[in-house]
Amino acid sequence: MRKFIATLLALVLALGLVPTMAEDLNITLFHNKVEIAEPLQAFAKLYSDKTEGVTVNIETLGGGADYSGNLTAKLTAESMPDIFVIEGDGDYKLWQEYVTDLSDEKWNEETTLAYKDPEGKVVGFPVSIEGFGLGYNVELLKKADVDPATLTTFTALKEAFEKIDGMKGELGLDSVVSMGASVAGGTWWVAGHHNFSIYLGGGLDFEDTSIIDMFNKGEIDEERLNDYAKYVQLLFQFSDREVTTNGTYDDQLAAFVNKKAAFIHQGNWIDPSLAKMNVDFEYDYISHPFNDKQEHKGLYLFAPSFYVVNSKNTPEKIQAAKDFLEFLVFSEEGADYMVNGAGMVPAFANVTLQPSGGFSKALVHANAEGGNHGVFFGKLPPGTGQDILAPIFDLFAQDPSDENMNYFIEDIKGAAKTVSEKQ
Amino acid sequence: MKRSKVWDAVFLAPCIFALIMVVLIPFVQGVSFSLTDWNGVRSEIHYVGFDNYKDMFNSVEFLYSFRITLLYTLINVIMVNIVAFLLALLVTSRVRGKNLYRAAFFVPNLIGGIVLGYTWQFMFNDFFTAIGKSLGIGWMSSSMIANKNLVLLAMSIVNTWQYAGYIMLIFVAGIQSTSQEVMEAATVDGASYIQRVVKILIPMIASSFTISLFLTITNSFKAFDLNVALTNGGPSMRFMGSVVKSSQLLALTIYNKSITSKELAKGQAMSVVFFLMLVVFSLLQVYISKKREVEA
Repeated sequence: MRKFIATLLALVLALGLVPTMAEDLNITLFHNKVEIAEPLQAFAKLYSDKTEGVTVNIETLGGGADYSGNLTAKLTAESMPDIFVIEGDGDYKLWQEYVTDLSDEKWNEETTLAYKDPEGKVVGFPVSIEGFGLGYNVELLKKADVDPATLTTFTALKEAFEKIDGMKGELGLDSVVSMGASVAGGTWWVAGHHNFSIYLGGGLDFEDTSIIDMFNKGEIDEERLNDYAKYVQLLFQFSDREVTTNGTYDDQLAAFVNKKAAFIHQGNWIDPSLAKMNVDFEYDYISHPFNDKQEHKGLYLFAPSFYVVNSKNTPEKIQAAKDFLEFLVFSEEGADYMVNGAGMVPAFANVTLQPSGGFSKALVHANAEGGNHGVFFGKLPPGTGQDILAPIFDLFAQDPSDENMNYFIEDIKGAAKTVSEKQ
Repeated sequence: MKRSKVWDAVFLAPCIFALIMVVLIPFVQGVSFSLTDWNGVRSEIHYVGFDNYKDMFNSVEFLYSFRITLLYTLINVIMVNIVAFLLALLVTSRVRGKNLYRAAFFVPNLIGGIVLGYTWQFMFNDFFTAIGKSLGIGWMSSSMIANKNLVLLAMSIVNTWQYAGYIMLIFVAGIQSTSQEVMEAATVDGASYIQRVVKILIPMIASSFTISLFLTITNSFKAFDLNVALTNGGPSMRFMGSVVKSSQLLALTIYNKSITSKELAKGQAMSVVFFLMLVVFSLLQVYISKKREVEA
């Protein structure tokens, strides 16, 4: 018996030793952009083949899924990735014990969008520049005889919506706008994150955080909120209720691609998906003209996410992760992956390739032009978009009447109060 | 090898080890976290006493979630058990191909809740509505899971579809273990089929009902994966002046609180209450059912 146990133990020990011999350094990158999963995977493979002794693995989580929650689960399971994503202040506060100082990395010279901690140290690698406006189908607007260049105020947009709505049969449309606000369908982030950012930063200077700072303290700019609520009402009134309140991300995109909607409320990250769905028309952005107080021409730009290097790791792994990020910026393969593979707008000045997607092109143009607005939903505490704002938008979208608009305004005020109590 | 206490202990050890590691320790940890302000990530933790519990009972989200969890459980227990019992009667009768039925009714139970949720989301949103629209049936042309009054029922339908086959097996085992003589005697005495089922069969398989009720109650209380995949809590509605997610059951509320909103301690407090509620309901139910069982 004793011999048997001894043999068994020896065997277990031997088995335990085998995989540790002569193995590659495994670097895991865990990200949340399902749209770029395939090209990123291909790029990681290319890098792993090229770099001896290092293998980069990519793990992906979909857009509506709860990234931060999954990351917590990985932490609990002690399989924390070596490179992971933070989306702003809320995430930074949460994960600050796990971020590495990247101030000395070479790529800092090429970008102004890196994430800096309160002391000014660079800790986040900007994945891309992203942005959104109100997307439109160039052909459909031409057919309806609406000049997008004139849609710079709320009144002008409202008139255009009404005009197009009247021509729905003629143009073959189901609705004017393709919008998403569904908790069930998983498009809540279109409203709870991006649309709400219009209230937080719309019409303001790029780095003006006054409204978001107020919001986090529980304060509201009443006049601005009233204008914003009217704009949300307008979008909901002229969108297909089924898509808005019950549709999925695919449903929302399909309505635009299949020419069932002339406008879409989405960001440039849908370019690769649109291409995959064989979009066969030209498309572009206008701003989100949510009031009549100024001419709205700028788009909403931000570095939505940052790669951070897990600091609770061996020095070799940290260095390998840094090397991977450097290769991403300074190699031709990296530029090709970012621009052509992933259809992203790179946040680095040394990359000169131009993106091919319609919305991404519009962003590059807007970025060169200036006069854009910041996107600040990342400064809200964790879960605010999903748990507090999303249900409010979902409810308003079900019946965007004037009465419910007043409720919506009160609910947003309540949300600000709840958020301030969390700080 | 003689039977001894040492060997008893050796054979019990793996089970006890697992129980301690995955049930006992997390439970104690959970209760103690519920008395802190931990967010699930930070290494700094402060003791806050019973604040989380006080907040919880003032939270509209929790109260609503608690309410619909009870409602969902009630609907489910009734639907699953009735359907399962009828299926059991069918597959123990002299109907042709009953073995095929048994297998077919059981198969949905083998599909995972997430897959099931997305499949049925498609059924409710696209399939049923397409039928409704093409046939011009008004109530069928809009999705059941987009209607805040029907969404719980929709979830129960899916759960019944999945779970009734499993409960059916328990009833089948019960029915097969009863003696045929009693039933035959009743037939000779002129009792109708309904009378035989209600007056004889049901009392005789009361122990199967105990098990089935217990399983369906706990299963419905703990519903999570189906909830996430099918509705994710949507659509929203107004309850006591606040906006709540109309189909967010307690387990999902706890998850969202602790993981999405990173208020792990508050979520833990809810879990503790959730646990107590489950214990009370289960014990109560077993106690009541046991009293009515016939010693066969």
